[in-house]
Amino acid sequence: MSEIDFRGPVDSVALSAPDGAITLADESSCTKVLVRGARKTAAGIHLKVTYGRSRRRKDGVLVCGSRPGEWTLLAEPGRSGDVAESIPSEGFVSIVDITHGRAMLRISGRDAVGALAKVCNVDLADDMTPDGAVFSGSVAKVTCDLVRDDRDGERSYLISCERSFGRYLFSAVADACVEFGVDMPPGLSIH
Amino acid sequence: MSPRRIPSRPGELIDRSTTVSFTWNGRAFTGHQGDTIASALAAAGVEIFSRSMKYHRRRGIFSANHWDPNLSVQVGDEPNVRAGSRRLLEGMQVSAQNVWPSLRFDLGTANQLVGRFLSAGFYYKTFMRPQFLWHSLYQRILRKFAPGGRIHWNTSTHGAYDKRYAHPDVLIAGGGPAGMAAALSAAEAGATVMLVEQEPELGGHLRWGANDDLEVLADLRSAVEASPGIEVLVDSTVSGRYDHNWIAINQRSHPLAPERLIKARAGSLVVAPGLIERPYVFAGNDTPGVMLAGAVRRLTNLWAVRPGDRAVVLTASSEGDSAVADLESAGVEIVEVLDARSGADIVKVDGRGRVRKVHLGDGRTLAADLVVTATGWTAPTSLLNMAGDRPVYDPVAARYFPHALPDNVLATGGITGDGSIAELLAHGRETGELAAARALRIRHDVLTTTARSTSPKGPRPETVPDDRIPLRRVPHPECYRSSTHGLVDFSEDISSKDLMQAASEGFDSIELMKRYTTVTMGPSQGKLETVNAASVLAEARQVDMADVGTTVWRPPFSPISLGALAGRIFEPVRRSALQDWHEANGAVNLLAGQWVRPDRYGDPMAEALNVRNNVGLIDVTPLGKLDLRGPDVPKLLELVYVNRWQKLKVGRVRYGAMVGEDGVVSDDGVTGRLAKDHYLMTTTSSGAGAVWEMLEDWLQTYRSDWEVHVTPVTGGLTSINVAGPRSRDLLERLVGGVDLSADAFPYFSVRTGTVAGVADCIIWRIGFTGELSYELHVPSGHALHVWESLLATGSDLGAAPFGVEAQRILRLEKGHYIVGQDTDGLSKAPTAGLAGLVKLDKEDTVGLPELRAAFDRTDLPVLVGLQPDDPTVVPEEACQIVAGDSNEILGRVTSSRMSPTLGRSICLAQVDPKLAAAGTSVTVKLVDGSRITATVQEHHAHLDPEGERQRV
Repeated sequence: MSEIDFRGPVDSVALSAPDGAITLADESSCTKVLVRGARKTAAGIHLKVTYGRSRRRKDGVLVCGSRPGEWTLLAEPGRSGDVAESIPSEGFVSIVDITHGRAMLRISGRDAVGALAKVCNVDLADDMTPDGAVFSGSVAKVTCDLVRDDRDGERSYLISCERSFGRYLFSAVADACVEFGVDMPPGLSIH
Repeated sequence: MSPRRIPSRPGELIDRSTTVSFTWNGRAFTGHQGDTIASALAAAGVEIFSRSMKYHRRRGIFSANHWDPNLSVQVGDEPNVRAGSRRLLEGMQVSAQNVWPSLRFDLGTANQLVGRFLSAGFYYKTFMRPQFLWHSLYQRILRKFAPGGRIHWNTSTHGAYDKRYAHPDVLIAGGGPAGMAAALSAAEAGATVMLVEQEPELGGHLRWGANDDLEVLADLRSAVEASPGIEVLVDSTVSGRYDHNWIAINQRSHPLAPERLIKARAGSLVVAPGLIERPYVFAGNDTPGVMLAGAVRRLTNLWAVRPGDRAVVLTASSEGDSAVADLESAGVEIVEVLDARSGADIVKVDGRGRVRKVHLGDGRTLAADLVVTATGWTAPTSLLNMAGDRPVYDPVAARYFPHALPDNVLATGGITGDGSIAELLAHGRETGELAAARALRIRHDVLTTTARSTSPKGPRPETVPDDRIPLRRVPHPECYRSSTHGLVDFSEDISSKDLMQAASEGFDSIELMKRYTTVTMGPSQGKLETVNAASVLAEARQVDMADVGTTVWRPPFSPISLGALAGRIFEPVRRSALQDWHEANGAVNLLAGQWVRPDRYGDPMAEALNVRNNVGLIDVTPLGKLDLRGPDVPKLLELVYVNRWQKLKVGRVRYGAMVGEDGVVSDDGVTGRLAKDHYLMTTTSSGAGAVWEMLEDWLQTYRSDWEVHVTPVTGGLTSINVAGPRSRDLLERLVGGVDLSADAFPYFSVRTGTVAGVADCIIWRIGFTGELSYELHVPSGHALHVWESLLATGSDLGAAPFGVEAQRILRLEKGHYIVGQDTDGLSKAPTAGLAGLVKLDKEDTVGLPELRAAFDRTDLPVLVGLQPDDPTVVPEEACQIVAGDSNEILGRVTSSRMSPTLGRSICLAQVDPKLAAAGTSVTVKLVDGSRITATVQEHHAHLDPEGERQRV
């Protein structure tokens, strides 16, 4: 692991509404490891999670069933090595560190759903996308992976996309948050 | 003008404690909060609001709501504002539109003098000859007379329009009593509800009703407000219903945007728009002072405006009777009430700026300034039509009714029948329950089949039959037209006489008549006109109304601005991890697909020479990169590339080209073998997504037994090309763990090592410039550190960045083609210079049969290197290669630049095969029409065709 500081695609600090009903933060530096393999491989059995759902392991790693036969493991920054090593590699299994390749942001709060409804056409109702739901969709015309990862009982979504779209995605979602009281920092406008 | 505001009314919407100032045609006016633009002006005594489209006749208030065809005005730079429903705001600058020089003295009235020439089909009969005048004269004249307001191109006071998505279980179009009742019962049944009302407040006709109505309304509003499951949208219109209940809603008056388009996917749609009053056709029926009964009721009860002083009322229903009562209470003298049910009639109205005399069917003439008609209703079935219904005419009730609807669309309220308020509410409640039951059944099915959702609670809900008790159909006389002709379409100035003429000319089907005369095609979208048009046609054809049919109502339900349709503009852009550095260091950007890239930092010729003489760095991150893992990767490569891949050794890189099933070159790049079962493939920048999809398509459908995993890593690896004779010297200072010597790291090899302390960097010895060069693929989070380290460490070696333009020069000097620029839809691999690469004896390759055939073809264009004989002339790309002095096209220049290294112009070109031999002289026709000669070269490469510079 390099000792050089990780630089994400977004420079902005976290944004939030004065009433705290919505916050938007860049979490691109988080560890992201992609695992591909059949469900019956040792890795598939170990990860347990089915497509469309997620679970948090005891070590804090969020295991997301991204697609059939594909999992994305999310953890705090700097854990690529130990996360990858935690996956049994017997059989035909690919483990790829995609930390550098995916931008990720977190939008949280009571108004998060309202803001996302301006940029994403997925039904975010509680029964359709409950806490722990994993799904893909277009967010402001960018293909994204989304995870509902509530915190302290409050709505929270992790949204990740190909890194090069990261700056744009952050700006587009921040723009959607303006209706809910977030001030748009200079230079982030998409209009 | 004399003020017409009357004392307070029980249901009035205005707040008399406020004063709102605005201007009308430059003159100052005031109104109250809650006034519409029209009501404030009417209260001030204004009677003329617009001029008609074709004849520029004076027009006044007619329906006093969203549908009023006479109340389109300009507000600031916003055209076509509905003054009948738009609420007054402080400082509004309102003006009449489609008039010149003024509303009062409009020169367009001259059209009335030639009215007999502007009849049905006018557009199709005139401006035909002489044809040459179309562009120079006719088009200009027609544009001058085009109706509607003006948009101001150079101002953007509107800001951005908005968009959002919604997924209600039940969406209700119409916030009248039935719609509100439906919303409440649907919400009580557990459904999420979106209630959409076109007017700025809920209530429908209860708003201008009697005290009993107002009490019911207050209760309904309170209940709706208290229901957490109901989202209310007022001043919003359900614009369209599409397949699977995809529903478009146009929300106006949003605090952040002038309009917002809501894209809703609803389980059930409840259509509850109420009824729209139908105008009566008689001579002079568009004279200011002729109003619908609903208009005078709204003016009187909602905005406390006395609509006239002396009224004649023609009524065929209780609505007319109620209007009489309202007028009397407002102090209007009722001159006469004419009961159409007993055969009373109005044949003509006299008056220019206002009604003066009313001529009755019995020969009498009455003096009045207000004529009120209540002669029937139109069922606005647009949304039902969009759901596939063809409403059926009932001559007893004299209107259309829904016929056959899909399960997920229901209708309620006046559109389905008549009844007391209690009956309407009951029908609405039953409809809401039914809509909720059906929607929740759909939701149960979706939850069952969606991986991410929670499992639905309980068993699948049973199918719910529609056992609602239908509303009654109250008999109503078929009152459409008097014995005289009058306007049918107020928006388009189409009279019953015009329609009769159209029918006599053979346009006697309702759809043909619509298109021939433009009846129902104006801003009202047929809401006031359709039934009367059908009745006139029935009269002309002497058939029953039911046999005439109706036009098909399509979206939008009412006109919608282009801004609302566009919504928020999302244009994703991609940035490499180095883009901030480029911009901070003077890069001039270019947009390459979605990527923002540095085109140049200064002089691209100098940048190119620096690469030839020293060492240059270019950010080539957009290069597509795919991580391939698995034992069957060689099989996949053999399949998708035209050349061989089974024997590629670990640490080696190979160039490959892909073709489609038609044998045409589709992409190219290099693939390196990093480990036994681990490869990195590069593609063109624009082809990265398509190649990934193509590989997954093969692996998931046709070769699902192959063990290959493909992971796109384009943005994760920042790609830096270090090129130039001093590139090795530079890298030796920063690379760890890799022997960079020519013997240990030969051309077309790949290694993994550290660069500037960053681990896991992939280093390829390849290049696009023709120089000794290395391509570094660096984890993007550390890319800026590597880039800055390279520049700093190599400063004494002349290390400097170069942009895309310099790269284009360098690659053209070297003769490398760009797929899509130097190739096209006819470029089969053999003629693109890839004949030596294609292996026809492979077992399988995409496009193999076509490739075999291509080798036998002698007629395909060939890509060649080309040099103008005059070295100072650079033909523009796409210049044609022609036969001598003729214009017979024999090819085209695909790439061209001035070469700073060679000091001359150089090109790649596609030429007819008979011109492809080295030394052939061709003629190039330049953009200015002049011609130059150029000579076909032996190689694509203009510089170092043997590749000695890159193999050092």
